[in-house]
Amino acid sequence: MEKSKLNNLMKQIQKDRDEMAFSQIFDFFAPKVNAYFIQNRIKFESSEELTQEVLSTVWVKSHLYDSSKSALSTWIFTIARNKKIDFLRKNSKINFKEEDIREFLYQDREIDLIEENEAKKQIERINNELDEQQKIMIKMNFFENKSHKKIADELEIPLGTVKSRIRHILTKMQEFLT
Amino acid sequence: MNGTVVKNQLIFDFASGILGPAKSLFASTYLELNSDASKIGSKFENMLGENLMDNENIHPKNLKYTDCMNNKNIKPDSNLKDPVTSLFGNLNNLNWKQVYKGFKEYAASIDDKDELKLIKMDPGVSVPLHSHGGKEYILVLEGSFCDEYGKYSRGDIQINDQKIKHTPIASKDTGCVCLSITEKDVIFFGKYGSFLNLFTFIKSFFK
Repeated sequence: MEKSKLNNLMKQIQKDRDEMAFSQIFDFFAPKVNAYFIQNRIKFESSEELTQEVLSTVWVKSHLYDSSKSALSTWIFTIARNKKIDFLRKNSKINFKEEDIREFLYQDREIDLIEENEAKKQIERINNELDEQQKIMIKMNFFENKSHKKIADELEIPLGTVKSRIRHILTKMQEFLT
Repeated sequence: MNGTVVKNQLIFDFASGILGPAKSLFASTYLELNSDASKIGSKFENMLGENLMDNENIHPKNLKYTDCMNNKNIKPDSNLKDPVTSLFGNLNNLNWKQVYKGFKEYAASIDDKDELKLIKMDPGVSVPLHSHGGKEYILVLEGSFCDEYGKYSRGDIQINDQKIKHTPIASKDTGCVCLSITEKDVIFFGKYGSFLNLFTFIKSFFK
């Protein structure tokens, strides 16, 4: 689905609490969010519950989304990431004190400071300047949070190569992120 | 790796949500005080958002959109707190521990392998030349300090590793308060070096 269409649907939700618009947002994002949790090694049963919480948050907190500040996918990514952190915290073997600080560090909030055009340009640059394998490595490392070892196994390249390539990508990314 | 790469790595790891509690708090305070860092964080989140946009589809089996519209667990109000204040309260009321004259610290009680603490240096006070066993992250919250590498003010961070030896000096006018993460104890050199190393060694028994 086109980004502009998703934005319009979101506007209808914000303005009129439009349920049909929400059902379309749900159809587009729920399977992707569910996949994100599974990629992050969360079991199917829990991934589905977490997906429900993410999409519920989109519905309940729609007022926090500002289309001039970020793409809808970015906002939904941050919600999913926050749910993941919360889930891992609750299920960790480590005994957290009554209030783990990460609970309030990763709250759902507006994303700020980025102009829409600037964000677009930056994403274009990433698409142009990184090759396919580099993009896959970024996704595996930061989106799926796989260890360098796991990345090496899956791509069938030596661990040292993964480490040096990721370092190279990060150095390259300085140019378009700063 | 140069300093910018290490700083960005911290921001990327924070955006990915993989940092432990101590570093999460450190990074989130950094993003709050430093608008450049915050911007990089947002850009990186945009990139991860693109990954979500293009992600594969694994359909939930028993979930319909209507299930997401009556979820009582999600509250519309979000009550945002400033991380340092939530953890430490008012910095003036803390029970600071004096390490030596003009240099105080206060360790956060966080269950993590990294140690998070506040450091307070009186105006003009310096830290003896030292290096670090693991990495050390310093974020200036109030005032400023300088060392052989430059001047650091509110919102600036410095990340030091084993290779770096430095002698930080707090600003003569304001002193400084910093948030710091230590992965391992620092190693001191110079006149009082062996004494301070012994001190940190003994201190480690009382943790």
